[in-house]
Formats: sequence, C-alpha cells, structure tokens
Amino acid sequence: MQKILTKKSFPKWVEDLVNYQIYAPVEKNDLWSYEIVTANEITIDYPNTVLSPKQITFPQREFFLEFNQNEDGTPGVKELLPEENEAVVFGVRPCDAKGVTHMDKVFGGDFEDAYYWKRRNQVTLVGLACNTPPSPNCFCTSVEGSPYSVEGLDVLLTDIGDRFFVQTFTKKGDRIINASKGLFAAPKPKEKTDMEKIHQDAVKAMPRSLKDMKKIPPKLKDLFEADLWDLEAMSCISCGICTYLCPTCHCFDIQDEITSSSPLEGKRVRTWDNCQFPDFTMHSSGHNPRPDKASRLRQRIMHKFQYFVENHKNYQCIGCGRCISKCPVGIDIIQVLEKVRDHV
Amino acid sequence: MVNLDDLKKEAHRILEENKVKYIIGYSQGSNGFPAVPAFIRNPEDSDNLIWNPACIHNLTRFLRDEKKRKAREKHPDNRPVGIIVKGCDSRAINVLLQENYITREDVFILGVSCEDTGVIDEKKLAKKLMGKMALSFDWDGNRNLVVTTKNGEIKINADEVLAERCLECPAQSPVVYDILFGDKVKRSPETRFESVEKIEKLSTEERWAFWKEQFDKCIRCYACRSVCPMCYCDECVVDTISFAVTADTTAEEKAQKIKWIDKSPVPSETFFYHMVRAIHLAGRCIDCGECERVCPLDIPIRFLNKKLEKEAKNLFDYEVGFDPNQLSLVSSFKDEDPEDFIR
Amino acid sequence: MAEEFEPKIVAFLCKWCSSAGSDLAGVSRMQYPSNVVPITVMCSGSVSPLYILSAFNKGADGVLVSGCHPGDCHYIKGNYYARRRIALVKELLEFTGLEPERFQMSWVSAAEGKKYTEIIKDFVKILKPLGPQKKLGRSQ
Repeated sequence: MQKILTKKSFPKWVEDLVNYQIYAPVEKNDLWSYEIVTANEITIDYPNTVLSPKQITFPQREFFLEFNQNEDGTPGVKELLPEENEAVVFGVRPCDAKGVTHMDKVFGGDFEDAYYWKRRNQVTLVGLACNTPPSPNCFCTSVEGSPYSVEGLDVLLTDIGDRFFVQTFTKKGDRIINASKGLFAAPKPKEKTDMEKIHQDAVKAMPRSLKDMKKIPPKLKDLFEADLWDLEAMSCISCGICTYLCPTCHCFDIQDEITSSSPLEGKRVRTWDNCQFPDFTMHSSGHNPRPDKASRLRQRIMHKFQYFVENHKNYQCIGCGRCISKCPVGIDIIQVLEKVRDHV
Repeated sequence: MVNLDDLKKEAHRILEENKVKYIIGYSQGSNGFPAVPAFIRNPEDSDNLIWNPACIHNLTRFLRDEKKRKAREKHPDNRPVGIIVKGCDSRAINVLLQENYITREDVFILGVSCEDTGVIDEKKLAKKLMGKMALSFDWDGNRNLVVTTKNGEIKINADEVLAERCLECPAQSPVVYDILFGDKVKRSPETRFESVEKIEKLSTEERWAFWKEQFDKCIRCYACRSVCPMCYCDECVVDTISFAVTADTTAEEKAQKIKWIDKSPVPSETFFYHMVRAIHLAGRCIDCGECERVCPLDIPIRFLNKKLEKEAKNLFDYEVGFDPNQLSLVSSFKDEDPEDFIR
Repeated sequence: MAEEFEPKIVAFLCKWCSSAGSDLAGVSRMQYPSNVVPITVMCSGSVSPLYILSAFNKGADGVLVSGCHPGDCHYIKGNYYARRRIALVKELLEFTGLEPERFQMSWVSAAEGKKYTEIIKDFVKILKPLGPQKKLGRSQ
C-alpha cells in the first residue's frame, strides 16, 4: 500500500494506535534511545540511537522460568513467556530493521525460540528512510543494505518535505494504517518521483564504503591463523561496546539467578553475552578456545563475515557504524575488513 | 611547547638502537578519529606518531597486555617497551611500580608535558563545533584551541573544551620519565574536587536519584573496567574464569562457588559492580578519566573515583602516583587516622 | 494495625573481641533485640568491602562491622587497616545516596557485652524509622 501522510497529522495517527505500546527514539542529555513514548514526544530528525532497537525484540535480560522449592521439598517450576504486548516501533532505521531479519534467522530455522518470537510477532516496525546519513560511519550500501531498504520493515516512511510518503509491506503494516481514518491520502505521481529522487540522493550521501566486499568471506577462510589478528587487536581493550551496540550480535548466556536461598526461589534468565569478555565460551574444564583478545576480535569478524555468510548467506553486519563510532580506541571494522581483503 | 619532530626523532633513535621492543604512542585514526593508540615497531614508522590535544588515551593500560604476552612467551624479549605518557599517565606508571606489577626496567618512558592545557573532551568539542567536522586542531600557546574546519578556523578557550579531569589535574607534566618533551609545569588547580563537591552538596535522596538514573543506563559492557590501567586482576569479580569443573567437582563445591554479582543488568547488580570497581581503585586511581570517556552511555563514573581520591587526601593525607615507594593506601595506616565514625 | 518493621542487621564480628563480646552478652542474659545476624570473621581487617556490599545486596537493612579496640588486635594491626578501609566504604556509600546510618562500625572488646547490646539497641532504634533498605537490595 502507498499513502501520503502530512507531518501535521502524524501525531494524530500515533494517537489512533490506542491498542499499541509506542516506541520511538528520544533524546536525553545528548543520548538517543528507544523509549516508550506518547504521540507528541516523537521526533523525526535524529542521529543513530546508542543502542539499536534489537533490545525491543531481544532484551538484554529476559526470563525463561521461575523455580522454587515447595514446603514439602518438591521443586516448583513455572514458565515465564513474555507478556501480551502489541507494540509499534517508530523511526527504525532501515539498517536496524535489516538487523532484525538477521536475528529472525538465528532464532528461527530448525528451532523456533518461543521467547524471541513471542516478542517479535507482536512488534510492528515503522521505518524512516535516511535522507541524510545518521552517522558519519554509515556504510549500509557496502553490506547489501540501503538507506531505504525495506527488509524487516512493516512500514517505511520517507520524509518528502512537509509530508511522509508511506509504504506498507505487510499485513501488520496495513493494520496500523487502517487504524486511522481520513489521515492518509493517495500519493500523486509527483510525490512518488520526489520520494524516488530522495532515495537515490541518499545513496550518494553515504559517508563510507567498502569495495569488493564479496572477496572477504572466502578470504577470511584462509586467514584463521594469520598474524593480522594479533596486530589489529593490539589496541583492543576487550570491552563489550562493539557487540552490545551491534544490531545483529545475538550471543546470549543463560543463568540461574537466585533471589532467595531459603526457601529456594529464583529465575532462569537469558542475558546478552559478549565474545569480547574473558569468560565467553569458557569451558567448564578451565580451557578457553579463545584465550586472548586477538582470537576474540577474530571471532567477531569471522562470525559476521564468514560463518554467518556460510550458514545464512548474509553478512551479519548491516553497516550502521555504531561499533566504529563508539570504539574507545578507534578500531574501525571497515579498515579491518580492508586489511583482510588486501592481505597477501 | 612539545616539539613533535623531537618526539619522532627520539622514537626513531630508540627503535633503531634496539633500546625498546616497540613504542606505544598515538597515531592518526581512520575516518575522523583524531588520535588512536599506535604500536610502532619499525624505526621508519615513527613518522606516524602524532601529538595533539586529542591524545586522550591512557596508554599505560596496554602494559597489562604486554605483561600477559610476555608471560606466555617461552623466550621473552626482555627489552623495555617505549611508552608515551602524559602527566596523569605517568602517575599510573608510578602506581604500577608501587604495586610491583611492572619494574622500572620494563618501560622506557617518553614523557610529554601537557603544560598549561591538557587533552580535549570530544563531546564538549563536538558541541562547540555544532556538526562541523574538525580537520585539525592544536593549542595556540595562549590556552586557546584552534580548530580548522572546512569553513575556516575557530578559536575556543581551553577551559571550554578541556576534559574535566584536566581542569582538576594536580600535575600537568610527567612525574616519572626517561626523556621529557615540553616544559615542566606545575599548576595547582584551585578546583581540584569541584565536580565531586557539586554532588556532595545534594541531599541523600537527591544523590540516590542522581546515581540511580545513571546506573539504570548501564549496559555492563565493562568498558570502564577494560580501559583502566589499574584493573589488572587475573579474574574480575564479574567474570568466572578460574573455576574449573572436572568430573570430581562435587555439587557442594559448585554451590559454594560464590557468584557475587548476577549478570542481569538490573539496578542492584549494576550498583554492586560499580561500587566494587570504585572501592578497588581507592588510592590507586590517578584520575585519567578514561572510564568516563569510554562509557557509551555517558555515565559519570569518574566521580566515584574522584570522591575516594578526595577522601584519601582529606582523611589520610594520601596522594596517588607521585611516589612509587610509598605504601599503598589500604595496606598502610597511621595511628592518628580518623575514627570519629566508630563507636 | 500493621506489624512494626523489624530491620535486619548483618554484623561482621571479629572472632577475638566483638564476637566474644556478643557471647558475653548472651551468657550474661543481657536482653537485646534479635534483629542481628552475626557473622564471625577472623579479624575486622578481613572484612572485604565485597562482604558489606553483598550484605546490602542480599537485603540487609543495616550492616555493622565490629573489631577489637585499637591496640588490642589479635593480629596487632588488622583493625587499623579496617578503620581506613571502612572509612572509605562508608564515604562511598554515602556519596551514592545510601543513608549513612545504615552502615556502622564499632570497637567491642570481649569484656564489653553491655556495650554490644547498647550498640545493637541503638542501631535498631535508628533503622526502624528509616524503613526497609530497598536501594541496594536485589529486586525480587
């Protein structure tokens, strides 16, 4: 479906979505994050959020089950599925939405992760095409994305001046359009060409790029033992910023957290895990197959550009540039990949 | 003023004479990173070294990696590592010496004086530039930062862009070095603990509200820990890497393994982590401010360390990092230590 | 009427003085509130800040560290180290907004059973109006 919505009626549309929880990027002390908002709090012009919207479908911490010891000594276990909670996320960048489709591959497939899908199926993603790059390190076009990519999105808005060009791609998307009456108009041909022109210009505005991306996955295969990793990781401090901020990093840990030891009560929780931490993939024997920061940096690159490509035919990177912008020591994934590509 | 050519020449010399294994310094980063840590091995690469107001990183943090690497080598190269340090960083070296973590022979110190300025706070500068990209910047010698952008030069007073800790720094030039670049300056700031005092003035509940809001943001990426030159514990309280489970490990042994802090980023656990980090740095933190700089969510973690620095000074007259031979804060005492809080 | 709030106090008592002091209070049948969970440690100097934080984390409403009087330490100077360390922990906790009354330190000798009961009585009296400590406690 293609529609036109004036910016003035945008808050009205959001107000009409009474049965949904609304998320959108908000700014607080110069930091942007996805929060639960009301119609008037939504801003359209914003840079990249610090954390990607992956936290909405894959929160940093979620419960699997709660357990306890009953008075007669028998164990009690209760499953804790996410609550019923239909949500609309506004202002999702096309790259971040693409990241969600990568998550779908991880949590779908042969085994469907009930916890993930419960949240995922309840979320409608409304994207905003990037007329101007939201980060100086954007490079989505190099990793099969684009500033107006619709992958993973239910609705895409394009800012064409005083109005939005609205496109829907799924039933979920149609539903939130149909929730409002009289706000949406049919697009005129001029508005459509405007939208297309804006999309084309957005590609030209891409601040960074990586050539010959296709060469990288096969190349990586031969570089497992290369000394490149040692050199690239020299300045790495093994913090978890790059992975926690990444919209496609999905590794998690499951732990039992005890809230009371007598009587025994606790919860089984899933939290994000991080390949840069020293206890990541630590074996119970005390052996760790990734003992140093070079092997951990290699893991991150390999997972994104080799293993994932082999398993799912996609780069597990959507080019948002968060890991570059926020790296405390300026490790630049584009530069690392260029070195991989040019390695002899 | 620090003469960069002198620095490069000296780096070239010590590498060529095989005095050092390699030099930890700064070089230009990619796409707009004005300075990143660099590891220079070949004398000819010493030309890549830079020195500018964005050389904010405390490079002594990498001595930790060097020590680990050396421990793994069968035939370790025992030559020292060349390292570029500012005033604050040099005090980190003193603390590492004091704790016998390194020896003086492990490092060849190229000290650089901050003179009457320091390093910039990237966020403050970004605000001043309002979206403009800085092509280059430097101090003009009169405590002004001159920034070159596409649209010309902008002059900003140092106090407006200096990192907060530089404004409160007790020693702008290195206290330990082999060679010093720039002039030795000692400016005693009048406002050494001003940032902390602002929080102290709040009521108990206001303070709690302040920290609660800050810690709620924390995603536990542990960048504050990872970047700290003093956080060199073999096993951090938040990690479990030393508990090997074998076929003989009993259920009781597993149950007795203490998990101090849960992995969940909930307020109680996050608070616990930050408290442990702060208290473990009491009398050791040299206020390089790296923990705060690297935080992706702008949590003012430095205040916690600064508070303890202040109390160490007020209660025990203890200054960190000036004397590598003094006893550490918590492994020493004086008869007259205050005890009015004890009943 | 609602039941009166009974604070839970975790007390780290050194084996040689304070723990013996609390024993003396017990065998002398001195009356004092039962709000304390005593944990005997070898020396007040062995109380890691982790223990204190952990006690608050597990829901203690107040924490007491008690050792021998200066000069009387079984290990000669353990309590001097404790004095420094506890002062720092106390400052830090107050700085982050914990009520300062919730964390206390005392010197109790093996002969001071009476003093021990008074410390606990007063501690309970101070903690009651503050209500449960929820700031640092693990949420359920």
